[in-house]
Amino acid sequence: MLSPRTRETGFLVPAALIAALGAATVATAKADALRYGPVAMVGAGIALFVVMHLVLRLRAPMADPYLLPTVAVLTAVGMVTLYRINPTLARDQMVWLGVGAAVFCGVLLLMPDHRALERYRYLIGITAVLLLVATAAFGTEIYGAKLWIRLPGGQTVQPGEIVKVLMVIFLAGYMRDKRELLAVPTRRVLGIPTPPLAVLAPMLAVLGMALALVVLLNDFGTALLFFGIFLAMIYVATGRAAYAGVGVALFLAGSLAVWMLVPRIQDRVDSWLHPFADPQGRGYQLVQSLYALADGGVIGSGLGKGFLVTDGGQTVIPFLETDFIFSAVGAELGFIGAAGILCLIVVLLARGLTIAARANDGFSKLLATGLTAVIGLQAFLIVGGVVRLVPLTGVTLPFLSYGGSSVVTNFAIIAILLVVSHRTDRPYRPRGRRNGDHARSGGDDG
Amino acid sequence: MNTSIRRLFAVLACGFLLLGLLLGYWQVVAAGDLADRTDNRQAQRRDQTVDRGRIITADRIVVARSVPRVIRGQTTYVRGYPQGTLAPHVVGYASPQVGSTGLEAQYNSYLRGSYGAEPLLVRLRLRTAHGADIHLTIDQRVQEVADQQLLGRKGAVVAIDPKTGAILAMASSPGYDLAKVSDPKAFAQIRTAPDSPLYNRATQGRYPPGSTFKLVTLVAALESDLGYSSQTRFDDTGTLRTNGPPIRNFGGHVYGDHDLTQALTNSVNTTFARIGLNLGANRMGEQMEAFGFGRKPGIDLPGNEVLASGRYQGGKLLPNIAGDADLARIAIGQEKLSVTPLEMAMVAATIANGCTQMRPYLVTNAVDRSGSDVFEQSPSQVRQVCSADTARIVTDMMGNVVREGTGTQAALQGLDVAGKTGTAETGDGGLNDAWFVGFAPKDDPKVAIAVVVEGTPDTGGVAAAPIAREVMKKAIERSGG
Repeated sequence: MLSPRTRETGFLVPAALIAALGAATVATAKADALRYGPVAMVGAGIALFVVMHLVLRLRAPMADPYLLPTVAVLTAVGMVTLYRINPTLARDQMVWLGVGAAVFCGVLLLMPDHRALERYRYLIGITAVLLLVATAAFGTEIYGAKLWIRLPGGQTVQPGEIVKVLMVIFLAGYMRDKRELLAVPTRRVLGIPTPPLAVLAPMLAVLGMALALVVLLNDFGTALLFFGIFLAMIYVATGRAAYAGVGVALFLAGSLAVWMLVPRIQDRVDSWLHPFADPQGRGYQLVQSLYALADGGVIGSGLGKGFLVTDGGQTVIPFLETDFIFSAVGAELGFIGAAGILCLIVVLLARGLTIAARANDGFSKLLATGLTAVIGLQAFLIVGGVVRLVPLTGVTLPFLSYGGSSVVTNFAIIAILLVVSHRTDRPYRPRGRRNGDHARSGGDDG
Repeated sequence: MNTSIRRLFAVLACGFLLLGLLLGYWQVVAAGDLADRTDNRQAQRRDQTVDRGRIITADRIVVARSVPRVIRGQTTYVRGYPQGTLAPHVVGYASPQVGSTGLEAQYNSYLRGSYGAEPLLVRLRLRTAHGADIHLTIDQRVQEVADQQLLGRKGAVVAIDPKTGAILAMASSPGYDLAKVSDPKAFAQIRTAPDSPLYNRATQGRYPPGSTFKLVTLVAALESDLGYSSQTRFDDTGTLRTNGPPIRNFGGHVYGDHDLTQALTNSVNTTFARIGLNLGANRMGEQMEAFGFGRKPGIDLPGNEVLASGRYQGGKLLPNIAGDADLARIAIGQEKLSVTPLEMAMVAATIANGCTQMRPYLVTNAVDRSGSDVFEQSPSQVRQVCSADTARIVTDMMGNVVREGTGTQAALQGLDVAGKTGTAETGDGGLNDAWFVGFAPKDDPKVAIAVVVEGTPDTGGVAAAPIAREVMKKAIERSGG
């Protein structure tokens, strides 16, 4: 049996090939002669993944071997697509990939045991809420939503992204602590089994505050995401489908209220239900995106041969590189390529939840579940928006969309999942009691 | 907890399966419909990268082709129309600026080479992207005569091979030059010109059928169980009282004692109105239904370029059968009746073909660059509209119309022609919509025709019959008859 890290090495090769081939295709599609511009970028990308792989060898040799290669393929496709849309975007994104890789390595190097996080759950929960409050207070409004904080250097960061991770850590810690109490309802409210209010209250308070703030910030995508993560986690924590059912009912009621009260949301829903009623106005993005998907067909137009980018370098759809990157993939790589992306995301979810199922303690299980749900729900919301299953929400497609905060957060999530995975197969023991470890590992733990 | 985790995964996986299915719907199932939408600029730009197939008439004249143009190392194709004024309404245009119409739109998937496995083969570089050529039933020689005959007038001509349903000529006047569509200024002029040259009067023009509709009444009468025959006798006093205003004959004629053949020959309004009243709403309505009134004819043109014929009120199609209908006036082609030249040509063609109606069509086949047929259309029957006996009787009566009645100007030397004229008053200063429908040769029909001339002071026999004569002559010459 090959070791997990050796298998990972093998799986990483296809990602490198996809990146190299894709970049070469894009480079030749537009020019008659081969340009060498993307060579450096492909090299940098491969180097970053090699570094992440080496750090895994060093710090988490037993971790799941499928996560990083899957992420690498998604990143390769995302990078190639961004390079095709606009080489400058790809260069920026490569810098963010570097930061993401640094955070990934940082998590692995500085956090030998994720269970330490459980102790700081309240601190983390409060930090999450404070970050949102800070966004509300000091945030810059861009495109109608107040999601960004402008740093002194002119860069903007999106605290909402990292708050998702903090929220998951808090909820995992809290739910593990109060799991038994949550699972055994003491009374019924309106015929619905309800746990004691004292148990439920702090959790609902933090969640409610987070939701309220996100709604105030006009970011309903993230609000929906928080809510979905909460439902997934409480279902896994208690095993009670009734909670999830009540949650969905609450969600529907809430959506109706939001739909009735917020004009911006009405617009979104209208353009979702009747995109062709106003194809040049409200429905424009969705209609153009559907046209792009249709243009791609089964096999796609080929990289660089779609029409989502004009000859002048303008994108036909605003936010092509973030909200609509999936359309760009569907247009140029076709149904085969786009469905392939969906399959890879399902692989990520399968591995993430396998890590959750195999973990030895409740906190690890809930943490891995929540983090996996972040990626899964986010991908579902944005792809669902693009294929018109749900109204459009401006969340990013993990590992493909352009955007620094998103890249960094997602790499942090993968790093934490890998730590959980590694610790399942090799329980952590504090220094000084590592003799057993050395005997088993053959010293590759450093 | 692990059971819940497994179930959570099942839920998420189902969600992604749903996404995949919907994605497949847009990219595979609905892709063609989305590409055909007129506001889809991406599809139009895609089309420009394809060497689009040619459109070729039955006598091998190329009426549309693509010309390559290289800009900044990229080859795009520009659509050219070497015979731009020949049947522009049928050929249509395919323009990235203003969309596409006519056969260019209808056969887009063949013309742009996106049929069958072609796109996959192109993608795999097993084949270069080439559209298929489409071959028309339209004969350039017949079409040219029709276009020339209509020159300077408003109106339409439809000529059909009654045995197959193949359209030999379809002309609408005023016309325009397809070559000018790519020039925005010229196109704007065409679009806003008086008398709407862009509009295909042959399939979209609705006219009161006038006396040509008596053919439908006549067929209904002969098919009915009321004992009508060509010898049934009638007495005309020049006026027929109805619920509405009384019905009189054209020109105030009084025909006295006459039979049904004479009634058609002289187009006696009072007699046909009386027949209509006798037949009643059901028999009339069913006969109209059988001829195809109230439905769009199944011709291979885009649906929005073809109208149904029948009873209209305020632009809305009414059912053929209605209790409150004024049957006396329906029987003579008045009331709310409004028909297209195509429909009337189909009525003539149906009678010519022993009352077997054939589906009208414009394209025989599509041929790819290697010369093999990728699409073929063979003649197909729509339905038996009446008995062959009835058709024979009506044909003989129509022969009389051209021999000695209102349609003498359609007569061809050495050939028997069957026909029926129509003169519908437009209520505009004595101007009429003048009709001729008919076919020739009477006993072995090679061509059936409908001609309408708008807003003329003349009758159908004077304004429309000569046009029909010239077009039919050319069509018979062509078929070697």
